[in-house]
Amino acid sequence: MLTLAGAALAVALELLEALAIVLAVAAERGRRDALIGAAGAVALLALAGFLVGPVVLARIPLEPLQVVIGVALLLFGLEWLRKGVLRLAGRRTPSSALAEYLEERAALHALAPPPPGRPDWAARVVAGKGVLLEGLEVVLIVAALGAGDEGLAPALAGAAVAVVAVIAIGVVVHRPLARLPESHLKYAVGVVLSAFGVFFLGEGLGVEWPGGDLALLYVAAAFVAVSQLEVTTLARGAPA
Amino acid sequence: MIAQLRKLVLGETWTLPIGVAVTLLAGLALSSAGPDWWQPAGGFLLLAGALATLMAALRRR
Repeated sequence: MLTLAGAALAVALELLEALAIVLAVAAERGRRDALIGAAGAVALLALAGFLVGPVVLARIPLEPLQVVIGVALLLFGLEWLRKGVLRLAGRRTPSSALAEYLEERAALHALAPPPPGRPDWAARVVAGKGVLLEGLEVVLIVAALGAGDEGLAPALAGAAVAVVAVIAIGVVVHRPLARLPESHLKYAVGVVLSAFGVFFLGEGLGVEWPGGDLALLYVAAAFVAVSQLEVTTLARGAPA
Repeated sequence: MIAQLRKLVLGETWTLPIGVAVTLLAGLALSSAGPDWWQPAGGFLLLAGALATLMAALRRR
């Protein structure tokens, strides 16, 4: 369940950022070029998913694989958690897909449009790059979360829930983006990914966690306790 | 693009990858040395390493 929730949240937040970029390109330069750029990136991501999953991860023995996955999840999770703590403490601008959408539109507005009848390569590259970078993180997180005992199913189910949710938001367009508590959600994803990271790293290094899989809960609780303490400490010196 | 990929994998600060590497190396050394306490308590040492890494990264901004 924690795998499903973690994957759903992480994938939804990354896809929201990609969606913001694609919507900005579509609104500023046309839907067709935005969709062509995004589709190109999705094709590259499908290839990356195939290479990371069935080709690379399937060939590594379980214990070294758990170490690799643990380190990868810790790198992602601790970075999300670090940014989350800084945002909640008022030391960093809150995360906002809407702000990203507006910034991207302004940047595209400054670019000269192509001659009539010519493909808009600038728009395609911007949309493709946005989807590729955010999507690469999705591929790595889902592959890492799917390397646990429960297999890929919960991580893929979480990712599927996220895809449906983000597409629904995309259909209603950007209004709901403004209402999402993105900073809090990203902080929560940071806690979940970091907890999985420590858990897998321990399993890969021969640790027997007291309580078995329940260890994920007290490891996550430790991350919440320490990070909330940091939020309180850093918030004291934050600019008003 | 390369800079963005590096930022995506390693993050915005070197403190995190260095802290994770130190935690990993300590874990590898202790698990291969095989002290009695490693199996039941080694996970808490790894957790402490990850928490220390987070705290260090928040101080070095």
